[in-house]
Amino acid sequence: MKLFKISFITVFILFITAGLMNLQAQSQEYTIDGLTFGMPEAEVYTEDYDGPPVVGEYVTMLPHLKPLDYEGNKHHEIRLDTFTQEIEVADGVRFRAWTFGGMVPGPVIHVKEGDKITFTMKNRSDEMVTITKPGLEGSDYLKQISENDYMGAEPSIMPMPHSMDFHSGTVAKDDKWRTIAPGETISFDWYANYAGTYIYHCGTPSVLMHTAMGQHGVVVVSPKDGYETDDRVDEEYVVVQSEYYLKKGAGDLYQYDFEGAQTKQPSHVVFNGHQTILHDQPLTANEGERVRIHFSNNGPSLTSSFHVIGAIFDRVWLEGHPYNEMRGMQTVLLGASGSATVEFIVPEEGKYTLIDHEFADAEKGATGTLKAGPRQ
Amino acid sequence: MKLPFNTYHKVAAVLGFLLAIQLPVVQAQNQAIAIPEGSFHSVLPEVVGEPHQVEPFKIDETAVTNEDYLEFLKENPEWQRSSISPLFAGSDYLRHWEYDLNPGSDEIMDRPVTRVSWYAANSYCEWNGGRLPTLNEWEYAAQAMDFDSNLEANRFSSELIGWYSAVDTKIKSDVGSTGIENRYGVKDLFGLIMEWVEDFNPPIADDISLDCGTVGRMQGDASVYSYAMSIRYITRMSFKPTSSTGMLGFRCAYDMNSNKMEI
Repeated sequence: MKLFKISFITVFILFITAGLMNLQAQSQEYTIDGLTFGMPEAEVYTEDYDGPPVVGEYVTMLPHLKPLDYEGNKHHEIRLDTFTQEIEVADGVRFRAWTFGGMVPGPVIHVKEGDKITFTMKNRSDEMVTITKPGLEGSDYLKQISENDYMGAEPSIMPMPHSMDFHSGTVAKDDKWRTIAPGETISFDWYANYAGTYIYHCGTPSVLMHTAMGQHGVVVVSPKDGYETDDRVDEEYVVVQSEYYLKKGAGDLYQYDFEGAQTKQPSHVVFNGHQTILHDQPLTANEGERVRIHFSNNGPSLTSSFHVIGAIFDRVWLEGHPYNEMRGMQTVLLGASGSATVEFIVPEEGKYTLIDHEFADAEKGATGTLKAGPRQ
Repeated sequence: MKLPFNTYHKVAAVLGFLLAIQLPVVQAQNQAIAIPEGSFHSVLPEVVGEPHQVEPFKIDETAVTNEDYLEFLKENPEWQRSSISPLFAGSDYLRHWEYDLNPGSDEIMDRPVTRVSWYAANSYCEWNGGRLPTLNEWEYAAQAMDFDSNLEANRFSSELIGWYSAVDTKIKSDVGSTGIENRYGVKDLFGLIMEWVEDFNPPIADDISLDCGTVGRMQGDASVYSYAMSIRYITRMSFKPTSSTGMLGFRCAYDMNSNKMEI
């Protein structure tokens, strides 16, 4: 009997230990080649949060990139809620977009290789979320929108399940990228293990529909040792290509065009979410300056042949990783979700057109302007 | 006995009143429609050549309205907004109502009730002498549409997907107003709201995970009709029993031997 008791207790202790080890296995960070893995399990919960839907120190509106002004690595706390917003994407073309943070694409998140990110997202698709009203203190991003609301964003309600898939994170998607219902919040950690420019998007089925409806953006992960040209760059921008599949719906609004999306026949192909924004508000530089553009092709489905008319890319880092350097490129071919960090020297005063050299797409809107002033 | 459509409704109303006196279990004005047994293909995995079998059942002609739900709340105060246990509904439960027994205005009385949890929907149907339809029953009823051709079915489905992308839940129409009904006369299974079903998150959901790009594997026949169906399954699977959204209401189902009035 005693032997039975002892063995029972031993088995019990082993069982508990195994359980704890199992728990530890889920929450124990580890490193390989200096990269950090092993994030704790995501938390899904409900909260009565009605504050700013975008919060984060280095979170900015396209095409701006807030420079990193800290040494070493940092732990970022970023909130990026998802909710519906009626927006304009071309002259007279408005639709109820599914958004991260109220605009398409969502905000640019800037971090450094090796940084840790604690990310929080509430699915507020069943709430009226106003992104332009005053009083949203604590959000640089919302301040930028209220000063330049070029999409004319208006709150709207369309309850749908959503999720967040950061390509810049290395985690298990069935945990961190899981779908949450309207009203739920998800919170999880990830490390920016690799330098480069990475898209983020909603991965909830239909992923084609969710990304086409507007749920995508980019994270710029600056290399911890920088690019070799860092001290010579005068202007730094982020440009995102994506396509819309829209058709006229009831009333004046447009809606998702299923056939268009299935057959890759977009109604609009755009830079920074709007057919004319990069002409209405051109990028600026001066003759002789070095311009860096983090260019990302967010899709959902098309390739991009990015070119700047009148310039040659002096440096191209494919995916934005400093090891992937190429020089003297006229055009950079990017598949869906591909990116490149490109640099060129502005040869003289004048206008330079940013373009997807796949002209069928350019003529649907994938163009922009860089306006160069005289040599300083 | 076959009566002209208009007359029929008048008779039904009188009958309904009489039945309501005799059978306290029948509460709401909504009428149940009998659906014969049969089978259908869903987007969930199934044995090849063996579609899902569905026994005969009855289902409400239209979704439960704010007016119907108000009656339920009067008799079951524990389900009122200020009384409901957080175990049974999130903080969004009936958020759009003015207060406990006031949906806001008379205008919305005939609109479908939304922002109700699965627990609340269950309780309502039980009070009303029924239950929530099973997922298979609901989908089977929804598939009983008479299209003249595949082309028409595809066009309908394509519009339906568009509807999922354009619906504005701030403004809802009355039940019965979409003009969409199945071959048995069940109305608004599409185009008005999404609806709770009994087993909205089937055990298979974990296995097929439904993340990034898995729609294709859910499509038995790769048609747009099937694609539209997959969106319904995916959306349902994200909900918790306490979830409530402005797009989510319900209607009840009944076993064939129940006393629910038939039409």
